[in-house]
Amino acid sequence: MAETRDPVLQIEDLSVAYVTNTGLVHAVSDVNLTVHRGEIVGLVGESGSGKSTMAYTIMRLLRGDAVVTKGRVRVLGQDVYALSEKELRAFRWSKMSMVFQSAMSALNPVMTVETQIVDTILAHRPDLSRQAARERAKELLDLVRIDQKHLQSYPHELSGGMRQRVVIAIAIALNPALVIMDEPTTALDVVVQRSILDEIRRIQEQVGFAILFVSHDFSLVAELASRVAIMYAGRIVELTPSHLLKLSERHHPYTEGLLKAIPQLTADEVTIQGIGGYPPDLQDLPPGCAFHPRCPYAMDVCKRVRPSQVLAGEKVLECHLFNEAEVNAHV
Amino acid sequence: MSEAKATLEATALVDVRDLVVRFPVGRGRFIRPVDHVSFSLQPGEVLALVGESGSGKSTIGKALVRMIEPSAGEIWVAGRDVAHIRGRELKAYRKDAQMVFQDPFGSLNPTRTIEQHLAFPVRKYRRDGQGRVSDLIDELLAKVGLTPVSETRRKYPHELSGGQRQRVAIARALAVNPKFIVADEPISMLDVSIRAGILKLMNELREEMSIAFLYITHDLASARYIGNRIMVLYGGKVMETAPSAELIRHPVHPYTRLLFAATPGTRHQGPLPETSNRPPNLLEGRVGCPFADRCPLVADVCRSQEPPLVEVAPGHYAACHHPG
Ligand SMILES: Nc1ncnc2c1ncn2[C@@H]1O[C@H](COP(=O)(O)OP(=O)(O)OP(=O)(O)O)[C@@H](O)[C@H]1O
Ligand SMILES: Nc1ncnc2c1ncn2[C@@H]1O[C@H](COP(=O)(O)OP(=O)(O)O)[C@@H](O)[C@H]1O
Ligand code: SF4
Ligand code: SF4
Ligand SMILES: [Mg+2]
Ligand SMILES: [Mg+2]
Repeated sequence: MAETRDPVLQIEDLSVAYVTNTGLVHAVSDVNLTVHRGEIVGLVGESGSGKSTMAYTIMRLLRGDAVVTKGRVRVLGQDVYALSEKELRAFRWSKMSMVFQSAMSALNPVMTVETQIVDTILAHRPDLSRQAARERAKELLDLVRIDQKHLQSYPHELSGGMRQRVVIAIAIALNPALVIMDEPTTALDVVVQRSILDEIRRIQEQVGFAILFVSHDFSLVAELASRVAIMYAGRIVELTPSHLLKLSERHHPYTEGLLKAIPQLTADEVTIQGIGGYPPDLQDLPPGCAFHPRCPYAMDVCKRVRPSQVLAGEKVLECHLFNEAEVNAHV
Repeated sequence: MSEAKATLEATALVDVRDLVVRFPVGRGRFIRPVDHVSFSLQPGEVLALVGESGSGKSTIGKALVRMIEPSAGEIWVAGRDVAHIRGRELKAYRKDAQMVFQDPFGSLNPTRTIEQHLAFPVRKYRRDGQGRVSDLIDELLAKVGLTPVSETRRKYPHELSGGQRQRVAIARALAVNPKFIVADEPISMLDVSIRAGILKLMNELREEMSIAFLYITHDLASARYIGNRIMVLYGGKVMETAPSAELIRHPVHPYTRLLFAATPGTRHQGPLPETSNRPPNLLEGRVGCPFADRCPLVADVCRSQEPPLVEVAPGHYAACHHPG
C-alpha cells in the first residue's frame, strides 16, 4: 500500500525516566516523531540510548519503575494513556503491536506455533471463534512463508529465522495499523537477517501497516526505512529521509560520526573513524548539548545551551551548527 | 607448488595444514566443524575468517591457540608443529599465541582491578624484572588508548564500558608480547561508534608491532577493512579465499555471493535467491558440497562429489563445481 500523510503514530514532547535509588535515569527526553500510514521509520541509536524505552512507552508496556514525565503518545489519533485498562487490552495488538528485542524468548517453548497464534488472537479478540482464529493462523503462516505443517511444531523445532517469522506473524495477527519492531534481526546471521528483512518489506507492502523499526545497525535501517530518527542519550538529534543519509549531505555531528565509523563493503576507499569518548551517563547528562564532550565541532555555547529543534530542508536537527535563520536562507 | 608460494610458506609465522577438528555427538557419530582447513599467516598479516554461526570459525581459532587439540593436521608456528604439544611446551606457546573473545563482559574477572588483570600475565611471561611490571602496565594501557592510565589501573571491569573492556582484553593479550592474536568477533557486541576504534587499534598493532591476527567475523565489510586476506568458511570447509580486494571485487563462490547480497548497504537491492536458512550439516561422512542444500546453482555433481579448493586466479582459491 502506498504511503499517505495520514498519521498513525504521533509522539509529542515525550520524556520518560526510570526511578532508581540513585536518582532519575532520563531514558527518553523531549521526543517528537510522527509515523504515517504505511510508512517505515527507522530508529537508530547505540545501546542504552533509549530506543526500547520509547518502544515500550508507545505500547504502554513500561514497568512500574518507569514514568512518563511529559508529553503524549497518540496512535490513530487516540491518546494511548487516556485508555482504560480494558480499552487498552483491545487496542493493543489490534491497532498497535510489537516484535520484542528478545524475540527468541518471546515464544512459549511448551506451546505449538498454532496454539500461540490462536491464543494471542483470542486474548485480544474474544469475540472471534476458535475456528476463525485457526483459519487466521493458517493464513498468517502462508503470509510469512512457513509451511502449514509447522503449525504443530514447537519453537525449538524451528530455526532462528523461522521462529522470527512466527513472532512477526503473531505481531500482525490482528491487522494492526502500527507494528513496532525492536531489533528483530539482531541475533540472526546476516543471510537469515536479510531474508527476514525481505519478508518484512514484502508483507508490509502487501498489508500496509506502518513500522517503527528499531535497530543499532545504521546501514540496515537506511535500507529499509524511508526516514530515520537518530537517537543519542534519549533525544532524537536528527530525523532524516534515508536517501539523504550520506556523507555528502550535512548532518548532525553524531550522525556524521556514525557514517564515518562504518566500513563500507563496496566503496573504493576504506577508511573509518570512530567517535572519541563514550556515551554519557543518563543520570548525569552533560549540560547543554549532551554530545558536546565527544563532538569535534563543539563550541562554547554547546556546553551551556541545549540546542533546540531546527528544520533544515527535509531534515530535523538538534545542533547549534544549524541555525534556523541561516538554514532557512539556504532552503 | 610454485616457487613464489614455497618462499611465502618458508617465511610464514603460522602455517596450518589440513586442520581437522571432530567432536563426538553420540551414538558413535562425529561432527567435523573444521574439515581439512589450511592457511598461513605472515608477521603483521591479518587473515579474516568469515562465515555464519556454526561454520567452525571459533573452533579453528581455539585449535590455533591450542585451547583445544586438533584431531588431525599440523599447526606450524615459528618453525615447529604445535598441534599436539602438552605441558611446559604448551605453556610456553601461550606466549606466542593469544586470543581475544567476543564478549568483553564475560572475559574479565569482576573482582579484579584492571591493574591486577595485566600484572598477572606480565609477571608470568615477561622476565625483564619486577621493577618494570608497573611501567609495562602503563605502557600497555597507553597502547590500547585507555588513558589516563593511572585512573584506568584502579578501576574494576564494571566501571568500564564495553569498548573499554575490549581494550583491556587486548592489552591483556599484548601483555605477553605475542606473535599473533586470534580475535574472535571482537567488535560484534560493541556499538558502532566504538567498533571503528577497536579495528583501528588492531591495525596499529599490526603495523607497529608486526603482530599477526586471525580476525574472526561474520561481517564481510569489517573483514575487508582489516583483512589482508579473507577466507570464507561454510560447514567447516573453506569455500573461497583470496586477497581482500580481489575477493570483494570478484567473488566467485555462490556462498560468498550470497553473503555479499545479504550485507546491508551493498546497493545490491532485490530479494535474495531463495535459500532454506538451514544450518550446514557437519556430520562426518557427508557427501558432496556442504552448501548444496542452499545453493541456487546446485547440480547433480554437487550432491555426489565434494568440490576441491582450486586456484581460479593468482592467489584466489574457490571450492565449487560451477564458480561464477
Ligand atoms: N528498569 C530500569 N531501571 C533503570 N534504568 C533503566 C531501566 N531500563 C532501562 N534503563 C536505562 O534506560 C536507558 C535506555 O534503555 P533502553 O533499554 O531504552 O535502551 P536501548 O536504546 O533500547 O538499548 P539497547 O540497544 O541496548 O537495547 C539506559 O541507560 C538503561 O540503562
Ligand atoms: N566442544 C565442543 N563439543 C561439541 N561440539 C562443538 C564444540 N565446540 C564447537 N562445537 C560445534 O562445532 C560447530 C562449529 O562451532 P564454532 O566453531 O563455534 O562455529 P562459529 O564460531 O563459526 O560460529 C558448531 O556446530 C558447534 O556446536
Ligand atoms: S550542538 Fe554543539 S556539541 Fe552538540 S552536536 Fe552541535 S556542534 Fe556538536
Ligand atoms: S559446488 Fe555446486 S552446490 Fe556447491 S557451491 Fe558450487 S554450484 Fe553450489
Ligand atoms: Mg533495546
Ligand atoms: Mg564463534
